[in-house]
Amino acid sequence: VPVLGIGHGNKLLADLHNCHLSKVYTVGGLFGKATDDFSDTGKLVEKTTYDHITREKLERILAVIQGSNHKALLLHSNIDMKTQEAYEMAVKGLIRPMGKSPPIITVIRCLQFALPEFQLEIHCLHETQQYLRKIVHEIGLELKSSAVCTQVRRIRDGVFTLDDALLRTHWNLQSIQNAIWDCQLKVKTEIEKTLG
Amino acid sequence: RRGLCGAARPRSLRQLREADEAAPVFQYAGRAARRKDRVFVWGFCHSGALGIPSFVRPDAGWKKPRRVQPTPYRLETEEKISSAACGYGFTLLSSTTTDITKVWGMGLNKDSQLGFQRSMGDRNKGYEYVLEPSPIALPLAKPQQTRVLQVSCGRAHSLILTDSEGVFSMGNNSYGQCGRKVIEDEVYSESHTIHQLKEFDSRVVQVVCGQDHSLFRTKKGTVYACGWGADGQTGLGHYNITSVPTKLQGDIAGVNIVQVASYGDCCLAVSNEGDLFGWGNSEYLQLASVTETTQVNVPRHLPFKIGKIKEAACGGTGNMVLTEEGNVFVWGYGILGKGPNLIETAVPEMIPPSLFGRSDFNPDICVARIRCGLSQFAALTNRGELFVWGKNLRGCLGIGRMEDQYFPWRVTVPGEVVDVACGVDHMVSLVKSFT
Repeated sequence: VPVLGIGHGNKLLADLHNCHLSKVYTVGGLFGKATDDFSDTGKLVEKTTYDHITREKLERILAVIQGSNHKALLLHSNIDMKTQEAYEMAVKGLIRPMGKSPPIITVIRCLQFALPEFQLEIHCLHETQQYLRKIVHEIGLELKSSAVCTQVRRIRDGVFTLDDALLRTHWNLQSIQNAIWDCQLKVKTEIEKTLG
Repeated sequence: RRGLCGAARPRSLRQLREADEAAPVFQYAGRAARRKDRVFVWGFCHSGALGIPSFVRPDAGWKKPRRVQPTPYRLETEEKISSAACGYGFTLLSSTTTDITKVWGMGLNKDSQLGFQRSMGDRNKGYEYVLEPSPIALPLAKPQQTRVLQVSCGRAHSLILTDSEGVFSMGNNSYGQCGRKVIEDEVYSESHTIHQLKEFDSRVVQVVCGQDHSLFRTKKGTVYACGWGADGQTGLGHYNITSVPTKLQGDIAGVNIVQVASYGDCCLAVSNEGDLFGWGNSEYLQLASVTETTQVNVPRHLPFKIGKIKEAACGGTGNMVLTEEGNVFVWGYGILGKGPNLIETAVPEMIPPSLFGRSDFNPDICVARIRCGLSQFAALTNRGELFVWGKNLRGCLGIGRMEDQYFPWRVTVPGEVVDVACGVDHMVSLVKSFT
């Protein structure tokens, strides 16, 4: 779901970027291989066994990744932890970094698990594709094996979901106009909510 | 000449695939790979309570002694540790092994709360500070059969619970907290005295040390107490000291108590029906919901309408309970965990579960266990994550910063936290590794 803006939309794009909303990806991975660029098309570095891996172990690792990233989320948001408003925002889950920060994962969970393949859903902020592949590689290492990333697909970017996306066959003026109309309200409310 | 040595041409796809398939496969996890049990410590090092000698006496000349360990540090132990307890500057670790050595102690030993630790320099003298986990010799009748189930530490005394030989107590006895008669002018340092307590109506299943008093809970659900009573913490109806464990009555007479908790001068007990009882110090509104007096010397039922109580924990000025639904309630005085504005309350307030990680994506995360230090609180979730909050005295929260923490904050531990023991200025956690 890449987002495009036309005309006035360009300014809105900048505002949306400042909202720092999270993006959602589905990431596919494969156990048993390690490559130099963490994807399955790279140069092979090492092969390992993977039959000891169970879904339970994977979910334990994911819980820890989510936990430590949640901590990073609160730390990089540059709010003084000793204030009452920091506490109230933390309760509502509204704390997030409003400036530059390293990539942070807010939610990570396992959608499918069929050795040697697995699929994860990752919600993140300020990430790069390289970072997502690296996460897959690190999960492999934590499980005493190795993993490469086979697929990265963005299914949500801030307020835009797969449902709002236009298929290639719909790339004509009419559909684009309709889509812009539909999304206008959503974009406006989100910008008002975050930037005030 | 052309065929003898192949030049370094880019290999074709088929050659690459064949090379990949022929590559050796490494195995990092053995067939019998099990999750390992580990111990992590953090907080104030200088008393030796963390059990790592190099923090107090550096092993290299250029290193400086470390005063505070602000993040979890792994402590190597010989056996699997099943129970840990933190006192005021000292720590006890115990294992359920049938080997001769079942309990180790480290830290302050000026009152022999760690038993007699014979000095290597002079065989007639004992150590005042123990820098690494050292065995505590218990006078067991059957040392290769009896198992140690639990340990507990107070200000200057310790209790060790065994499965078949009752309770052993060591340390300071100036208020009878060790369950034996107070001897005037007794010198507690370098003492060999370890007292055995067996006179209860049934087997003791839990021991709890308050600051200068001791509580014993038996299988039948009765509670015994001894020690300092000026705040009514012995719950025996008077404010004097008691040197023999005596059964408590009041509102818990005839009630099947399934858990007792204490650390300072206030005590809480939970019954099998989920009711909560309290006695002891109430200067900080701990018992203000039932009485205006600041000392309560008889157990009173606390009629909070927050659901069935599963577990209770007492700190120095604040109390915490865990309900059957997995929610945490706090009350009392101090940094209670709901931001800097909540300093005191007599009625329990719930800590929002979203602070422990519960969200729309993780709706079944709940708190499984709670513990209290003197001015700190700790909660373990069912995912094995440890959250702490309270006064960050000498880095004892383990969050890497030295500031106080006003709401629950994750402690990053490389493993699933199974249990945690909180002291005044240090903490010990029992952890299972991930894989």
